[in-house]
Amino acid sequence: MLPRLIPAALCGLAFAGAAAQTPPQTVDLSKFPATAVDEVVVPVPSEVFNVLDKLGSPNWKGEMRDSLGTNTGNRAQVALLLGTVIAEGFVAVEAEDSQRVKEIGQEVLVLADAINVRKAVIARSKSVIEKADAKNWRAVRSELDGALQDVRAAMQELGDEDLAQLVSLGGWIRGTEVLTSIVSKNYTPDGAELLNQPELVAYFSRRIEEMRSSRLRKEELVAKVRKLLRDIRPLIAKGSIPVSNVQKINKLTGDMVTVITSGQE
Amino acid sequence: MKTLKILFVLALAVAGLSAVWAAVDDALSFAHESALPFVKQGYIIREDAWGGDLGVKDQQAVTAQLFKGNDYWFCLGTDTKGAVVTVHVYDSNGKLAEVESYQRPGKAGSGAYFAGARVIPQKTGTYYAIVTVEKSPAERTNWALVYGYK
Repeated sequence: MLPRLIPAALCGLAFAGAAAQTPPQTVDLSKFPATAVDEVVVPVPSEVFNVLDKLGSPNWKGEMRDSLGTNTGNRAQVALLLGTVIAEGFVAVEAEDSQRVKEIGQEVLVLADAINVRKAVIARSKSVIEKADAKNWRAVRSELDGALQDVRAAMQELGDEDLAQLVSLGGWIRGTEVLTSIVSKNYTPDGAELLNQPELVAYFSRRIEEMRSSRLRKEELVAKVRKLLRDIRPLIAKGSIPVSNVQKINKLTGDMVTVITSGQE
Repeated sequence: MKTLKILFVLALAVAGLSAVWAAVDDALSFAHESALPFVKQGYIIREDAWGGDLGVKDQQAVTAQLFKGNDYWFCLGTDTKGAVVTVHVYDSNGKLAEVESYQRPGKAGSGAYFAGARVIPQKTGTYYAIVTVEKSPAERTNWALVYGYK
């Protein structure tokens, strides 16, 4: 938690604001100095799945992947894979498949071990398994959100901010694949609107561009993720997102998930 | 700029960073206290938080991706005695997006002050939770923000 507080603490620079206790109906955001605007907050997967719950009853079992993927030992791949596995946990929760959720709880531990953050997720993993046994799905979701945050926080503590970002990206890519699959099968403009995330995509792109490790930034897998984000951006430009774009995003993210989980570059 | 930041970080460390964090932690615990009534209403409060310190009339915008279909509460807390802080949420066009808000002092003697804003997004997109220190006896006022959804 504390690392997220640092930028805001440093960026709390003077801005002569006009807001009073009765707020103005409009503000000119362009007049905000950049230092007074924090980077976009990455939503936790539960926020998206919470909305998906309200979009009818998709065939969640049909959305589950057969394999959780292969760990190649490459740290970038493991970080992305860990993100996809956690996102898979949410799909398994929606499908109310406790056996699958338990497998995912174990796999999270294995992958976290591969990138030296096992200790940070032991309790979460155990809790995911216990709560899946009890079929307490709301609690499982909360633990999966927590696992993602704990992994990120542990990586940041280790100075692996770049890898932490890849975990988030892996989760976002798999989550977006599922979201677009569901929306394209029963298209509504409201459902497609969930993809209206231009600032978030821009943020992820910036984080890759600004990776401290140039070696990591130039890795083929990371380059593919960067290209994916670049390809998605025009498809979610402002306005209504047509079914054709939803399908394109589904193909792009699905292909990327295949690359991540197969470990093939 | 990068050098300045590094120097600033070092200066903070020398000046007693732990004390700064202790103060922000107090603000954070008040932000969670501010959110408590909403937990009882079924809102899930995210485990991470945002915060820092601001001068009087300074503002900080926390940028968030919100989804139509969810219902959000942004809850702010400060531990600076006598300070009045607000949080209001705007959409990407700069239009006030909240459906209700509150500002109130914490328990007598606690020094806490709470504020909150509820958003039921009409559109999925980027929103800005703008934190303002309206008044304060202190040069810098600690603040912390959490948000929940259902």
